[in-house]
Amino acid sequence: MWINMGPQHPMTHGLWNLRVRVEGEVIRDVEPEMGFLHRGIEKISENRHYNEVITLMDRCCYVAGMSWEQLFIQASEQALKVTPPARAEYLRVLSAELQRIASHLMWYAAFVQDLGLMTPFLYGMRDRDLVLDLFQSYTGARMTYEYMRVGGVRNDAPHGFTDQCRKVLDWLLARFVEYDQLCLGSTIFRKRCDDLGVLKAPEAVAYGVTGPMLRSAGVRRDLRKDRPYSVYDQVEFDVPVTDTADVTGRYLVRMEEMRQSVRICRQCLDWLDRNPGPVLADHLPRWLGAPYAPVGREAYLLKRNYPTGLGFSMVEEPHGEAGAYVVNDGGEHPYRVKFRSPVLINIWAAKRYLPGYRIADIPPIMGSVDVCVGECDR
Amino acid sequence: MAPMTLFSVADAIAAALLGLLGRLLPAGAAHAVTAPDVVLGLATVVFAAILLAASMLNTILLIWYERKLLGRFMDRRGAMHVGFAGLLQNFADGLKLFRKDTVRPREADSLGFWASPTAYMITSLLIFGVLPISTGWNDGSLPLTLLLALVIFSFAPLFIFLGAWASNNKYSLIGGMRSAAQMIAYEVPILLAVVAVVVLSGSFDLTTIVNEQRNYWFWAPLFLALIVFVAGMLAEMERIPFDLPEAEAELVEGWNTEYGGMLFAFFMLADYLRALVGSILVVLLFLGGWTWPSYVPSALTSFPLAGIVWFMVKTYLVFGLFVWVRAALPRVRTDQLLRLGWMRMVPLALLSIVLAAVVVAARCLPVLGCIPSIGG
Repeated sequence: MWINMGPQHPMTHGLWNLRVRVEGEVIRDVEPEMGFLHRGIEKISENRHYNEVITLMDRCCYVAGMSWEQLFIQASEQALKVTPPARAEYLRVLSAELQRIASHLMWYAAFVQDLGLMTPFLYGMRDRDLVLDLFQSYTGARMTYEYMRVGGVRNDAPHGFTDQCRKVLDWLLARFVEYDQLCLGSTIFRKRCDDLGVLKAPEAVAYGVTGPMLRSAGVRRDLRKDRPYSVYDQVEFDVPVTDTADVTGRYLVRMEEMRQSVRICRQCLDWLDRNPGPVLADHLPRWLGAPYAPVGREAYLLKRNYPTGLGFSMVEEPHGEAGAYVVNDGGEHPYRVKFRSPVLINIWAAKRYLPGYRIADIPPIMGSVDVCVGECDR
Repeated sequence: MAPMTLFSVADAIAAALLGLLGRLLPAGAAHAVTAPDVVLGLATVVFAAILLAASMLNTILLIWYERKLLGRFMDRRGAMHVGFAGLLQNFADGLKLFRKDTVRPREADSLGFWASPTAYMITSLLIFGVLPISTGWNDGSLPLTLLLALVIFSFAPLFIFLGAWASNNKYSLIGGMRSAAQMIAYEVPILLAVVAVVVLSGSFDLTTIVNEQRNYWFWAPLFLALIVFVAGMLAEMERIPFDLPEAEAELVEGWNTEYGGMLFAFFMLADYLRALVGSILVVLLFLGGWTWPSYVPSALTSFPLAGIVWFMVKTYLVFGLFVWVRAALPRVRTDQLLRLGWMRMVPLALLSIVLAAVVVAARCLPVLGCIPSIGG
């Protein structure tokens, strides 16, 4: 019997369809159907200024907007040959790590909800709100920040931000203990999640699975370490790995990643306290800051004077490895933009890690993948 | 003076009403309306109406209680805005559901689709007819109330499966099958746990069982049976961690996916009615019903309606335990649930019967019970 789980189904956490062939309660085959949320972001980007694409990036992955802003901005800066000041880089890393915590908290909330745990769901959402409050305090928005700019970030953090941020991080570290008690301390949780959705390292690599799913299979791969971008080579942190390759492993990896993110955030905050300075590069082309498209002679001159280039960047996004490719032909708009979404690939490996388990296992397994359809369909 | 029972109250109300009617009518007709059979008939109706009102009111209060308690567990406040502390929120929700259109899928079987929520609701309400809430609730003329209550309680899987099948929806069907398998699997340990209580009290009559607990409550000697009974009741009520028939994460809403509006409200109300019955049964069988041990000051136990008040307090505390479980535990899987039921619960229940027999044989009840009986 084929069952359509989706496009509107509590398990999907978005808008996609998982077709499942079941015998009794046992899954025999699955067929993910993606594309319900396709908005043509890559094509729209070709008709926008570089800084205007940031707006789209926030909507691309709505739970990890900062990471996607960073992804696109890095590729654009490479294409436009712009170097941001150090303080901007630290602010970006801080933002990306706060975003990782917020995204993982969102994942935690959705994942435990799939298991029927309602209380931790609200705990996760409650604590995520604190991180969103932090975002609001320095970007003005809670989800769609539009914070990063080619050549830096829009504005510096406000007075007193670092202290407030440290307070939130301390609070979060204490809460993580509570989370573990609620989940790992529960026998039912272990019975549900151990040896579930197993995707071993060779298969994970073959499918191109990245992020916590790959690290839970024992592969120590993290772009922040292996291919350091921004100032990740200046901060200390560990890459958590488990070798169980199951849902519990993914849980453990993500919880530890949040702790490591807190560590990174603290180092960034210390650096920011010690090193005041500009957050936006000087000598930027005028139109990079312009809210409108230059026309006529101005545009022509800009096109002639500005260098062309290619930009490619990869970041370790909360869900996995995201990539961006930006072609700059000298105009005020990117000529071509292409993204690599980690979630799309992680979902497609479902053909490998879902069959053999039961219908009741689908929500925790797909929950442990951490699906974000926005970036998946773009 | 005969002890006042709920039925005697209903009888008095009916007699008064008919007497009033009789005065307004000519003599011949007055004689007819005040005939004992007519009074008895009306008294039955009044009895049922009181019971219906009380059980529905309690159920709605129970939902409010769960919402508030669950809210506090989750670090929020629960319903706040409609009425004092959100007391009227459920009435508002009920009104909303009442006003909604009831949609039946075109391919669904009409008879089964309509009959199942109705029958589910009726059987759930029926149980209240046999549950004694305090002394004098009924006159003890039914010697098998416990058995009757459990029999009516176990009708549910039939109607759930009927509704699920009639909905003609894959999620409903899977949910219905799960529900049937689960409820039948957990009937067995529940009944076995109840046998332990019966062994100890020597009666199938709930009033007698409660009266037997006048000196010590059964939870202490029958702790094992209590655990089995509570776990089984959680499965029967389909509450977390055993709510997999309506596991919303994978089955949308399980067997009542296709039900909306008032039919959904029926299922919902019946679920909470059954939760109320479950809590009441725990109180009756293990927590001494409306009785208190003799060392409790009599001022606390002898005010008017003390029996009902304390009974409801205990019931709500037991239900609070169910809410706590719901707030704290994840959902188990079907195979795990069934394995737990057959492989763990049944042997434990059998063991508790043996324990009950040992307790009866050794006559060591006052030692095991929390309170030694003082002066009978």
